[in-house]
Amino acid sequence: MTLHLQNVGRCIGNQWIVRHLAFQIGNDECLALVGPSGCGKSTTLRLIAGLDPVSEGSIAIGGHDVTKLTPAERSIGMVFQSYALLPHLSVFENLELGLKIRNVQCKDRSIRIQRVLDLLQLSDRASHRPAQLSGGQRQRVALARALIRDPEVYLLDEPMSNLDAQLREGIRPELRRLVLEQQKPTIYVTHDQHEAMAMANKIAIINHGQILQLDTPINLYKNPNSLFVAQFLGRPQINCLKPSDNQIQAIRPEDLKFDDSGLPCRLLSREWLGNTQLLYLASSEGDLRMIMDPSFECPERLFVRWDPQKAFYFDRETGKRIP
Amino acid sequence: MTTLLLLLLPSMLFMAGVFALPLARYLWLSFHADSVMTGLVAIPNDGANWNRFLNDLRYWQDLGQTLRFAVASVTLELLLGLAIALLLNQPQRGRALIRTTSLIPWALPTTVMALGWRWIFNTPYGPVNRLFESVFGHSLNALGEPSLAWLTTVYADVWKTTPFVALILLAGLQTIPSDLYEAARLEGAGALTCLKKITLPLLLPYLGLALMFRMAQAFGVFDLIQVMTGGGPASSTESIALYAYWNALRFLDFGYSATIMIGSFIILTMMVAIAWVVIATARRRSVVGAPS
Ligand SMILES: Nc1ncnc2c1ncn2[C@@H]1O[C@H](COP(=O)(O)OP(=O)(O)O)[C@@H](O)[C@H]1O
Ligand SMILES: [Mg+2]
Repeated sequence: MTLHLQNVGRCIGNQWIVRHLAFQIGNDECLALVGPSGCGKSTTLRLIAGLDPVSEGSIAIGGHDVTKLTPAERSIGMVFQSYALLPHLSVFENLELGLKIRNVQCKDRSIRIQRVLDLLQLSDRASHRPAQLSGGQRQRVALARALIRDPEVYLLDEPMSNLDAQLREGIRPELRRLVLEQQKPTIYVTHDQHEAMAMANKIAIINHGQILQLDTPINLYKNPNSLFVAQFLGRPQINCLKPSDNQIQAIRPEDLKFDDSGLPCRLLSREWLGNTQLLYLASSEGDLRMIMDPSFECPERLFVRWDPQKAFYFDRETGKRIP
Repeated sequence: MTTLLLLLLPSMLFMAGVFALPLARYLWLSFHADSVMTGLVAIPNDGANWNRFLNDLRYWQDLGQTLRFAVASVTLELLLGLAIALLLNQPQRGRALIRTTSLIPWALPTTVMALGWRWIFNTPYGPVNRLFESVFGHSLNALGEPSLAWLTTVYADVWKTTPFVALILLAGLQTIPSDLYEAARLEGAGALTCLKKITLPLLLPYLGLALMFRMAQAFGVFDLIQVMTGGGPASSTESIALYAYWNALRFLDFGYSATIMIGSFIILTMMVAIAWVVIATARRRSVVGAPS
């Protein structure tokens, strides 16, 4: 089973919300869509789910063109950012509703619900209402509702954005295992690059409704095709030097080294991060971020240099990579 | 503690002033004769008012008529209001304009609109009768026929108050997140399923609110009926508020009028209490009774 998008776009009025979306995801793949808020991530999912009409292009699931099909005919399991659970129904009833709508036999319903509740460790919460659950449990119920219909494609729209950072990190491995176990094409939307790298084996960076680059996390990091991608992936953020000749040179913080023959810098501030420390330096090329050993006592004035091979060069106007 | 009481005092005094005091005064008055016969001086009369009240067929008939009016008009208003709210909740051009103009009937003073309807339904000169005559060949006595007059008052009340109900329900509809419907669409839920499983349950608090507001108002209906029919024909549209008013200000029998008010207050309170218990039981059952 594959999910295949060809030149998909959505236009409202005379404005393209997303355009030229094209990618293919296989059975064992999880694609993360990342990009700033409002860049069109949710819209992309809604197009695939059939909740919004496609203005151009086509969508195929398992080789079948589904562009004109209704959402129910597409076999999509979707987890909404807000979870979209019915507040007046119990966990059990929330899961049951979709099966009822699709006329699943009563006995079959209970078996399937029980299996999914067990899988997600929610069995003792079956009769609770969403309001009586913690954020993490609600998120699992939303996931359970997607799993229970055994769809061909999974779409997860910022499934963890309502959870606190610690919980998110705890849930991440579990969620990844569950998603991978399904062996179905999965799209995972997030605005958190860290989450994207952890969850997905491919990442698409989106800005202004267009995919800037789609590749494995490591290739994106090592080989960004634009300044936006370089800045979006990697924390602390990549250093951009003062433009010269319409070029911007960018260098990752970890690629900066001390060297007495290098660029003179002044220490602005330092952040101790436990296993590393982050130095903020001022130089004639602009402010620089640099990663150092945590025990290192940084002097007020110092010199840094870097291997020009490791730097990236971007066009100042377009932001495109210059080879 | 003293500060707390001190801070609460103004609002408690206010509540006492507007609720408890008149109620106590009426309760006291209901055990006294206070009419032209007594020179408008309150004289204790050993519960004679209450005796009369319990055996006052006109009162019990009025109570039935009031309930009939309240149930009919509020039911229609909720149904129509819901339909209008659902329509107005659809994204469409000119929605704001429709929403604003639909409130005009509600913004009109009741007396003014009741006068208008009285003229429209007038027999033989009103336009409704004219139209009816030209179509069916005989006249329609919409306000003079007991079996029709109460329906005409219900009609006028529905016309006036449906926009108010629709507005409350529209506010409720707009609190329902759209992704609930989208999740249901993914499963293939149709409009009817969505209405039954999502819209109505989530709208329930708003329906309850509208029901309570409207029931309380309809139970005490006065001006609309006073203007349109004056309680007639043959007191077939008379409401309990109208009857209490007549006793006090036509017959100048303040003692008995107070008895009617207090009696109606007790009956209304009992009805609210029963409704409360029924709703609370239903709600508790639906929380506990989920399958396991
Ligand atoms: N129905 C709509 N009408 C007009 N603009 C819309 C509509 N839906 C989404 N948009 C716009 O499309 C853009 C992308 O939205 P969305 O896909 O929700 O972004 P994301 O999920 O990446 O934060 C936003 O700028 C939003 O304002
Ligand atoms: Mg979004």
